[in-house]
Amino acid sequence: MTPIAFILLIIGVPSLIMLLYIFIRGSMGMRKYILTRIALTVPMIFILASLVFFIMRVLPGDPVRSALGPRGTEIQAEHMRAQLGLDKPLIVQYGNFLKDIITLDFGNSMVGGHRPIIDEMSERFPATLELVIPASILALVIGIIGGSMAAAHRKKALDFSFRIYSVIIYSLPIFWFGLMLQLLFGVKLNLLPISGRIDPVIGTTLHRVTNMYLIDSLISGNWQALGSVVTHLILPTVTLGLVLSGVFVRMTRINVIETLQADYIAAARARGIRERVVVYGHALKNAMIPVITLIGLQVAILLAGAVLTETIFNWPGMGGYLVQRISARDYTAVQSVIAMFALLVALISLAVDIIYSLVDPRVRY
Amino acid sequence: MSSEENIKADSKTEAWRQDLTKVGFVRRIFMGRKWYGADWWFVAISVVMVLGFIFVAFFPGLLAPYSPESIVGTSFLAPSTFPEVPVLLVQASSPAQGLADLATPEDAEKPVIGVLMGSPAATALREHAQEIDDQLVQEGNGLRLRPRIERYASVEELMEAVNSGTIAAGVVDLSEFDAWAAAFPELRAGDFITGETASAGGFIMGTNDIGQDVLSRLLWGTRIALIVGFSSSIISLLAGLPLGLLAGYFGGGFDRVLSLIMDSLYAFPGLILAIAITAVLGPSIYNVIVAIAVLYVPTYYRIVRGQTMAVKEEVYIEAARSIGAPRWQILWRYIYPNVIPSVAIIFSVNVADAILTGAGLSFLGLGLPPTIADWGIDLARGQRFIQTAWWMVTYPGLAIMLVVLAFTMMGEGLMEIYNPRLRER
Amino acid sequence: MPAEPLYSVRNLTVEYGTRAGAVNAVDGISFDIRREEILGLVGESGCGKSTLGKALMRLHRPPARIASGELFFDGRDLMKLPENEMRAIRGAEIGMVFQDPMTSLNPVQRIVEHITETLATHQPGITKEQARARAVEVAEQLGIRRERLDEYPHQMSGGMRQRVMISLALALHAKLVIADEPTTSLDVIVEAKFLDFLRELRKEFGLTILLITHNIGVVAEVADRVAVMYAARIMEIGDVKKIFANPKHPYTQGLLQSVPNIQLEEGEPGKQASLYKMEGMPPNLLHPPVGCRFHNRCPHVMEICKVQAPALAQVGDDHHASCWLYTQSAA
Repeated sequence: MTPIAFILLIIGVPSLIMLLYIFIRGSMGMRKYILTRIALTVPMIFILASLVFFIMRVLPGDPVRSALGPRGTEIQAEHMRAQLGLDKPLIVQYGNFLKDIITLDFGNSMVGGHRPIIDEMSERFPATLELVIPASILALVIGIIGGSMAAAHRKKALDFSFRIYSVIIYSLPIFWFGLMLQLLFGVKLNLLPISGRIDPVIGTTLHRVTNMYLIDSLISGNWQALGSVVTHLILPTVTLGLVLSGVFVRMTRINVIETLQADYIAAARARGIRERVVVYGHALKNAMIPVITLIGLQVAILLAGAVLTETIFNWPGMGGYLVQRISARDYTAVQSVIAMFALLVALISLAVDIIYSLVDPRVRY
Repeated sequence: MSSEENIKADSKTEAWRQDLTKVGFVRRIFMGRKWYGADWWFVAISVVMVLGFIFVAFFPGLLAPYSPESIVGTSFLAPSTFPEVPVLLVQASSPAQGLADLATPEDAEKPVIGVLMGSPAATALREHAQEIDDQLVQEGNGLRLRPRIERYASVEELMEAVNSGTIAAGVVDLSEFDAWAAAFPELRAGDFITGETASAGGFIMGTNDIGQDVLSRLLWGTRIALIVGFSSSIISLLAGLPLGLLAGYFGGGFDRVLSLIMDSLYAFPGLILAIAITAVLGPSIYNVIVAIAVLYVPTYYRIVRGQTMAVKEEVYIEAARSIGAPRWQILWRYIYPNVIPSVAIIFSVNVADAILTGAGLSFLGLGLPPTIADWGIDLARGQRFIQTAWWMVTYPGLAIMLVVLAFTMMGEGLMEIYNPRLRER
Repeated sequence: MPAEPLYSVRNLTVEYGTRAGAVNAVDGISFDIRREEILGLVGESGCGKSTLGKALMRLHRPPARIASGELFFDGRDLMKLPENEMRAIRGAEIGMVFQDPMTSLNPVQRIVEHITETLATHQPGITKEQARARAVEVAEQLGIRRERLDEYPHQMSGGMRQRVMISLALALHAKLVIADEPTTSLDVIVEAKFLDFLRELRKEFGLTILLITHNIGVVAEVADRVAVMYAARIMEIGDVKKIFANPKHPYTQGLLQSVPNIQLEEGEPGKQASLYKMEGMPPNLLHPPVGCRFHNRCPHVMEICKVQAPALAQVGDDHHASCWLYTQSAA
């Protein structure tokens, strides 16, 4: 079983069960909402795919020539074009491109061992997930706790500190932040490793199942490997998580503040409900509804941040792969990774909207 | 920072607030300071910062001590440490301080200066002496500097020669002098032979791996950052504003299709899109600008479209329509002026985003030719030497952060003053 | 001799800190709320009546603060209670109904959860079943069907939601309900029903109600007594019938004349009776006028009015007014 299939299994099966549950137990309105939302995802994927196609094939620039370099002959170029299907009319290329995305068959890499790109991606995709998931959790925790605390202590020192925090974090170049953390914890204090996912020596002892090392070391009970994975994970997670948290703090704060001015909050206070329950129960729960949608839009920041974080920490994920293949002029790989990102964006925003419908009773009923 | 304080039962406050919605943007800022308190210095600080950066971008040469591309010192020189440039070694009692003080009248005996055998100092000495001599000839007051150079096998021998008065002066590295200073209390180090005094301070931010001045590259990098930021934002604005106006005003199928495209573009990770575009187009600053401009068209489009749709429902637009004003006139005379302030705010924040994305691209080695003085490129270069030269990664990143901070703060401040509701964007 | 009042307010001043200076939204007000009465509090918007209502529960939020005054509720001095004991009174002994029923219920909470949460807050030992049983009981007393309790607020109509708000106050047998413009956002027919409902409640549960409104018609319909507020002060207070029949304070007189009356239109055919309009605008509370707050709009203004503020003085049986026309100057 390829790693990507394994991941699809562990992510896909629960979400399928959830969808089924919604369809059996959920109300009419909810079912309709989810069906509409799924229907909207299709044109979104289509548009994003077309965009990628337009950039990669229609914009000026000859991938074959740049792949071959100055010494490539015209015959070699012709041969390569035929191999990649670039000699066909654009409309045919477009059709093939869409078919490739739907079937997840992106052809073979143009460099190295000429392996199928889907295999190469499936090795790297788990690494990206292993970085992105903990980072998002970190960002959400900081964002929600920080944002609601700032809102609850409006105009006090705590609020001001969180505002300064979010403005500075927003202006922080993520790649520089990562480098500064490396400098401090890796170089000066020599506490944490600054490159890679696992110590290469320990790495040989790890039995890879999912290629998410955290899970692999846990299920095989390899505690030494787990320790190494965790220490390697800390700096990249903190880099990506903190940078993302700035936006979350800001959005949560604004929405909680707005919610705190709602009449039902005053009404809850008038009923003698404790202030803590009012802020973190009533207000936060209501504020999270718009925040969830906004968080869905931050997927873009998350993935772009992941590309840079992976580059800095030499993390063998999708972003690192993309940058590596751009410098190797592996045109098919670049195109496939970007198409894969497009697919991810569309699917994540679908997932966010479905979660939204679960939280907001006004959609549910 | 906020404005939605419940100031009840105060008709004067109410009157003030009503006035605020009637006056223009600039006056609103001035009047706003009374009611928005802290925000206004927030804006003031950021405006000063932004103006400062723009000044640096226009005149980096005035402030930078060196040219950004020339090799001016030894490599990896830490901030404020002295370069390993030789100093003049003289007797403590000698009045001479620098090389120029050794000049003698035309017919007098030439001074003898000692150097170490095989040291590059000899070449430097000859060059600088020649420079001084040329200048003396031009001044024409009979003085010349044509030293005779004597070579010694060790520092000790050289210093002994100076000490005994055999030769007028010696040329040694500062570290060499320090090592032997205790043994020869009668000797002292004069100026560097380059003519700088030892108190000149070295390189404030150090030098990079090939001996370029980090500070000078930093100052020149401001220019690239602002060019990329401003040009791409202006292009996005010129595309996004009219599209948003038309889609918002006319609605219908045009609006629906365009909005779907823009939303998809907006959801896509901007940096990855820019990577793809620059990877295909090839490295050049124009391609970077175009790539970034494409990313931010949806930002303007969404804001302008939303505002247009809101303004369109206002009573005075209805009134204008009812008296038969043509559509284009309504769009141009009534709606356009209403969306401009928010566009100005978005522009400020957008410049910040564009600078950040541009730096990210060049950090990844895409877009700009690698020799250019750019913060992203310098950072990427610094990453390779992070173990040895912390200053190479610290300063360029700090510069990016400060510029982005200035533009973001300005945008945020203006946003709150102009319209607190806009913050949710 | 009337029984001891349920709620006594003495010299209450509520201050708003604004950047332009402090504003007294409630300025030295004293009055009583008697047991089992409906007291109407009328005034123009911005006169401080909502601030007063909130201050009675110490529910005001910064920048507002109680600058001075005493609040006696059921024999206790509320100003001296610590916040947690005050919180125990809110909801359990004093309930509040807000202006807009559409926004005063938490949209992500079921109706029943509103009630059970309140019960659990004030009776920590209560089990879920008991709380639910009590919620059903109260709801049915108020004409809310049992099965509607599991709905979310957005599934209910405005009138229904106002009933829910009342049920929240009654679930713990509140003695006093402060209703802040409870009918303003309801349409006329629902409003009439709701007012009937309030009257029944008082009869059935012995409830005391402070009805804050700008609508004099509503007060005339349900209130026993009325307090007229203008520019942060009470101008006139007393029995509703007496005041409406014979208003003493020039402001009350003006207010009553400016109420649109359907009967007015039955005057001379073809000639619309014009409504009385008071001169001028309510004063700016940042710089309130010296003396009587109403003097610059008053048709009977005297020299003393511009110098010294009159105190509330008895002008009839259960009828007080704050006007120099009925008081001797201290000087």
